Amino acid sequence: MQAGDWAFVLDNADYLLTGAGVTVGLTFAALAVGFLLGFPAGAVEVYGDGLLARAVSASGVLLRGTPIVVIMLVLFFVVSVSQSAFVTAAVGLGLRSAAYQSQIFRGALQSVDEGQLEAARAIGMSRFEAIRHVVVPQALRRSMPGFQNEFTIVLKDTSIAFAIGLAELLTRGYDLFTQTGRSTAVLEVFLAISAIYFVLTFATNRGLDRLADYYAIPSGENR
Amino acid sequence: MTLLRVETVDKSYGDEEVLNGVSFEMDRGDVDVLMGPSGSGKSTMLRCVNRLTDVDSGHIWLDETDVTAPETDVNELRQDVGMVFQDFNLFAHLTALENVTLGLKRVRGMPEAEARDAARDHLEQVGLAAQAESYPAELSGGQQQRVGIARALAMEPKLMLFDEPTSALDPELVGEVVDVMADLAEGGMTMLVVSHEMGFARSAADDIHFLDNGRIVESGPPEQLFERPEHDRTEAFLTGLQSGEHR
Repeated sequence: MQAGDWAFVLDNADYLLTGAGVTVGLTFAALAVGFLLGFPAGAVEVYGDGLLARAVSASGVLLRGTPIVVIMLVLFFVVSVSQSAFVTAAVGLGLRSAAYQSQIFRGALQSVDEGQLEAARAIGMSRFEAIRHVVVPQALRRSMPGFQNEFTIVLKDTSIAFAIGLAELLTRGYDLFTQTGRSTAVLEVFLAISAIYFVLTFATNRGLDRLADYYAIPSGENR
Repeated sequence: MTLLRVETVDKSYGDEEVLNGVSFEMDRGDVDVLMGPSGSGKSTMLRCVNRLTDVDSGHIWLDETDVTAPETDVNELRQDVGMVFQDFNLFAHLTALENVTLGLKRVRGMPEAEARDAARDHLEQVGLAAQAESYPAELSGGQQQRVGIARALAMEPKLMLFDEPTSALDPELVGEVVDVMADLAEGGMTMLVVSHEMGFARSAADDIHFLDNGRIVESGPPEQLFERPEHDRTEAFLTGLQSGEHR
């Protein structure tokens, strides 16, 4: 530590915050990919049968069993899904998140009482309509706690895009003290970026808490 | 005029015979009650009528429709057959009103405003107009079951099935549900009821069918079955019922 290291961090706040912007963008992109693939995958695991369900389930096992840094390096250097590190990171984190989100939704769908589906079928709804209008809305609410966890994990794991050189928050923090020769500021830089990660996870989790409360199904006890 | 005809229905789960040659008929406007010890096949019989369960053999006719035919559209059929469940099974994420409108909108394709009007009428019919905006978890068991009845009635079924509608209720809440059912019976609804409510059976039932081990042991009007049962099994069961054994 050295006098002026905090001033150095402050002087470069814009540079770090731009990285934080990339982190947030990557988080949302990955979660969106994860939701769009993971939700149907969870539904297929619960309601599908045969080859499709087995294929989905096997892909999930594979993705969950591979370190995210390996997934990202393979996508970038071996498969080359895209020239863009951002797109590659979004795909990698998104696929991995889909594998985890599918399990969140699978559990949530299975937790909805059998009688709900039966009651919907008994008034003449098709199986698909009954799942869509009766089971899914309840399952989505029940998946909120698991989803909040996943959100936090994905946000922090965006830092792994460091491995493929994406200029997100961690990469920018690292570059800041290595490329300016200001190696004494290493502690200050890491404290600063840790604080930014913390504020991001804390704020978004509180936001999601609000959302969960808003959509919570009223019960007599809460009134 | 016959509305429901059940012809020698068999149903097994694995080695266990749940229904064994069950036959009976109901005319339009009839109220029939299925009684019998637990595991005697009463609920399975009900569930065969709206195809929540498929029969192994035999036939069930609702009007001109062969319920049991594989080509019968179950979603069409079920609009004609309302069902009320032991555990209510109200849609937990929807208000009482929305529980009733869901089928009207999604199955009948009724516009929102019209569905809400119809749903209000049906909630009024079961005495719950004031609870229209409440969620199931905010209602008592008796109120939930009345919403369940309104939800089934809203589809304007030809036949209503009640699967032990009061057995999950606290004793003091049974009355309000039985009253609604009695009103329906009075109004000419055809009802097939699995229940051990003696009071309801005595006052509303045209026929009672006593099941044991998947067979109808004895059928008859309540006064005959309750006062002069022909079979020992029936008598023993009813005696137990009156002394509160089966509650």
